[in-house]
Amino acid sequence: MIELKKVFKQYHEGRINEVRALVNINLTLKKDCITVFKGPSGSGKTTLLTLIGGLSKPSSGRILLDGEIISNLPEKFLAALRREHFGFVFQRFNLIRGISVLENVMLPAYPMAPAHAPLRQKAKDLLERLHIPEKADMPVDVLSGGEAQRVAIARALINDPDTIIADEPTANLDSRLAVQFLQIIEQLRKDGKTIIMTSHDPRIWQARIVDRVIDMEDGHIVEENEKVANP
Amino acid sequence: MIFHTPILAMILASVITSIIVLWSAFFALKVVRHWDITSGHARQLTLEKRTYLVTTALKFVLALELFSLILFVTNADQMAPMFTGAMCAVGVLNVNEYGMPALLLKLAVFFGASVWLILNHADEQGRDYPLAKHKYALLTILAPLVLITSLIQFLYFYNLHADVITSCCSRLFVPEGKGLQASLSAMDPMSALYMLFISFGLLVLLAFWLRGSKRNNRFGRALFGPVAIGFFTVAIIAITSVISSYIYEQPHHHCPFDILKWQYGYIGFALYIPLFTGTAFGLAAGLMSLFPTPSSLLEAYPRMIARNITISAVLMTIFMAFILLAIGRSHLILFG
Repeated sequence: MIELKKVFKQYHEGRINEVRALVNINLTLKKDCITVFKGPSGSGKTTLLTLIGGLSKPSSGRILLDGEIISNLPEKFLAALRREHFGFVFQRFNLIRGISVLENVMLPAYPMAPAHAPLRQKAKDLLERLHIPEKADMPVDVLSGGEAQRVAIARALINDPDTIIADEPTANLDSRLAVQFLQIIEQLRKDGKTIIMTSHDPRIWQARIVDRVIDMEDGHIVEENEKVANP
Repeated sequence: MIFHTPILAMILASVITSIIVLWSAFFALKVVRHWDITSGHARQLTLEKRTYLVTTALKFVLALELFSLILFVTNADQMAPMFTGAMCAVGVLNVNEYGMPALLLKLAVFFGASVWLILNHADEQGRDYPLAKHKYALLTILAPLVLITSLIQFLYFYNLHADVITSCCSRLFVPEGKGLQASLSAMDPMSALYMLFISFGLLVLLAFWLRGSKRNNRFGRALFGPVAIGFFTVAIIAITSVISSYIYEQPHHHCPFDILKWQYGYIGFALYIPLFTGTAFGLAAGLMSLFPTPSSLLEAYPRMIARNITISAVLMTIFMAFILLAIGRSHLILFG
């Protein structure tokens, strides 16, 4: 369970261009649920995701993971926490050019120094599961948008995290690929993953698989809709 | 002032160190006054974020200070041919009234910086900055010392003039002279050796006893710090009064700096490096024992203290091994 308590986030604090990205956020995100943050650009969705995922720290307030404060962890522990608990899918996928699909997928596991052969097999299994095994040895530069996203998801799953954080995952995809993405997400939830996403896309936040939609505006939570438990 | 490359390097290093330490000291005061790990207040979060930057910068400059001590002494030794009357570092340090105080202050900074770095290492093992307040409190004491040392060192270098006729070890480290150097040289060699071996025995016995005793023997562990300092003092006395004579194979040559020269196989480094680092680890173990065990390091913290004690005892043993080697290799017969 992830809890946010009185979380504020300001950028350029004390300067003329100060931005209050998040204002007094109090929120509890349950396990094994799909939560979507929606709202216009600049509403604070992405900032909130970066705080939850330990990619940045709040200006004030606390973030807790399973009851333990994570927002004040020193960087060394925060990096370990990110590796073990969170998988990230970025809007532009952030795949690393110049190396193969398989190497991109294996990359987040390298700091844990696993044995190479089992890691390679695990990465191949993930690509198989996401229906792109034939792309394993290709450079990422030649992938289509949908394929790149699947590689990004495989990469997010390589360390077997309990939470997947996805920022605008369907922003660069057509309708058919967006539907395929939702199918993958549904499967991940069945596997016991917690999914936290941001999206402008009504196809995402209106999807039946989504458990909770949180509407944001100007750094505030303005509305919450929790659906009846999905089958 | 003599524009010598190592001098310029040391001045540059001390300026960088002083700036970073001064900036860190202001931050340290804020930590000492306002640190509250349970708070989610913006000020606390700012302190938590900034401590990473401050610590990284401090680690760099304080490590620089450790090497600066070695450079300071070796440079003084190498500059001896520039001054009339100087044969080793002692003569160069005596060119003006700032040399010896600069050396003593740099020694103090060496120990302060070492202890701070060891304490910081322990702090970095905890998930909640368990020793932050202690290490920044220590920094508020260390910072003025670093600044004064930089100033005195600069005054020493600034007032180095090649036309000065100086006194060297053959005039200062003699039993007939006056001052601390003369007193150290005048110490009875047999008594000095007894003191050295007895204090080493005490230190090793204490280390063994602490290894075997209960994990939370805070008093015993805290005692290790003063014992390490005591052994260090006795060791310096012994080196000056008797060990140096064995190394030079001359009963009346007591200089503790000449042993750093190549003519004596740089044995001074083999003696001083384990002695100084061993003392630093012992001091750190003693200091860490004074603090309550942090809740986030319940298991690890006592282990860290025990490890520091072991490292200290091992380094002191290495020091003693070189002492025995120096005595064993010598053709000088002082007793019997």
